[in-house]
Amino acid sequence: MENIRLLLVDDESDFRAPLKKRLHKRGFTILEAGSGDECQAVMKEAAVDVVVLDVKMPGMSGIEVLAWIKENYQKTEVIMLTGHASAVDGVEGIKQGAFDYLTKPVEFDHLVQKIGQAVEKSRRDAEKQQEAEFKAKMEQQMISTERLASLGTLSTGIAHEIDNPLAIIKESAEYMRLLLGKAEHADMPRKSDFENAVGKIETAIERAKRITHQLLGFVRKPATFFAETDLNVLVAETVEFAAKEAESKGIQIVQDMEGANGIIWSDPYEIRQILFNLLTNAIAAIESGGTITVSLKDTDSRVMLCVEDTGEGIPKENLEKIFEPFFTTKPPGKGTGLGLYVMNGITKRLGGKIDITSRVGKGTRFQVTLPRSREACGDMGENKELCVDILNKIKGDPAT
Amino acid sequence: MIKIPAKVLIVDDEKDFVEMFSLRLKETGEKVFTAHSGQACLEKLTQENIDVVVLDIKMPGMDGVETLKEIKKRYPIVEVILLTGHGAIETAVEGMKLGAYDYLLKPADANEMAKKLEGARKRKDEQEERIRKAEQKSLLRRGGNI
Repeated sequence: MENIRLLLVDDESDFRAPLKKRLHKRGFTILEAGSGDECQAVMKEAAVDVVVLDVKMPGMSGIEVLAWIKENYQKTEVIMLTGHASAVDGVEGIKQGAFDYLTKPVEFDHLVQKIGQAVEKSRRDAEKQQEAEFKAKMEQQMISTERLASLGTLSTGIAHEIDNPLAIIKESAEYMRLLLGKAEHADMPRKSDFENAVGKIETAIERAKRITHQLLGFVRKPATFFAETDLNVLVAETVEFAAKEAESKGIQIVQDMEGANGIIWSDPYEIRQILFNLLTNAIAAIESGGTITVSLKDTDSRVMLCVEDTGEGIPKENLEKIFEPFFTTKPPGKGTGLGLYVMNGITKRLGGKIDITSRVGKGTRFQVTLPRSREACGDMGENKELCVDILNKIKGDPAT
Repeated sequence: MIKIPAKVLIVDDEKDFVEMFSLRLKETGEKVFTAHSGQACLEKLTQENIDVVVLDIKMPGMDGVETLKEIKKRYPIVEVILLTGHGAIETAVEGMKLGAYDYLLKPADANEMAKKLEGARKRKDEQEERIRKAEQKSLLRRGGNI
């Protein structure tokens, strides 16, 4: 009975004192209160596990105190003490949420036993609640994962279907463009209006095409190509590729790759796509000036690739939605809202994960953690199976 | 320079696409034939001396890859450009291993298409030229020996 905080509430100190002494010997931490008011004061000070509460007290009655405890401290168990021949009070107490009642004079061993049972119940309740919270959390995650998955399947299907009519529109627009350029149409009335309209169609086609292609890029999952991949080389390449755009905005790109072993067993093409996306995002996040730091850290089994910018940052409410397809804060036509969605999918496929920390006005840091080898990847795979197993159990559990 | 029209066969089950694409190609001076299935494509090849086939991979019935295999079996020097959806680049790669000249993602860019058509036509011309020369040589040699 270690660490059990027990509160004795009785108006008779003569009754409390010997009981306190004996209970103390059994290892309980004992607190005392001579009235309902005192009891409230003690409990406001610090939580207690079990209250042994006399029913008959001047001022606040035991039943009133019980009601107050149950209202404010649901986790605290209460054992009522009633005068003999007033079992009615005890029953009333149980109705109001007391754990049990004992009749005075109290048999000491009996009381200790009851306290033990009360503590046990409160432990079970706490466990149940923890379990319920865990389940609720897992279910929430499961719902969002499933939603994302089905959203992905649906949108890629749509993208496929849209590409065909899009090809027809494109051909038609290009045919019109070609005809407008012919000598026979040199003096066509309102020719520039037609050209303008065709131009709008062409721009819109490009925009739609970007969306469908990005979506479908994500579907290309069967042929993940694993090879020895040197992240140092990949980073250098990607940075060079993005350097021009960064320079035009006066952004400095710093590489901090020293001391880390950047050789991993993974898919270089997909990692290049992730890196390129992260860098493009970082550049987009910065109005002008500022720094982007690309760094690499490693452990035996993992590498952590970080892209950190000093840009505008991401508000908290957006962070939750950042991996959802079509979520974008850019104006229509500028961003598809698919970049991070696709990147997240790729990273997961490679056995890794993306973590984001961001402060509005300060900047954002994307950390991509990747397994160094396929074996490490396999470890994560096992965990994944375990998670799926747990999820299925929760799902199939009729009690919840 | 006078452009010698290439004989292009467009094969796609999307009829509107075939129509617009062929109109545009005709406008740029090519000689265009159309087919809406793999089977129709093979029939057309028996009737016309086609230079380049532009072939959609995804078609009901006989699909692009099957059609391609058949084309290459019957007419090895006819060049084929594959049209593919973005999600099916692997299939395009497979197709090129089977002898296709190149591939284009749908919706394809007009300039890229023009370039690839040009390239395919050139490769076929060169191949035919080599065959002609080889034939001449063999004829000459035969003539000299006898």
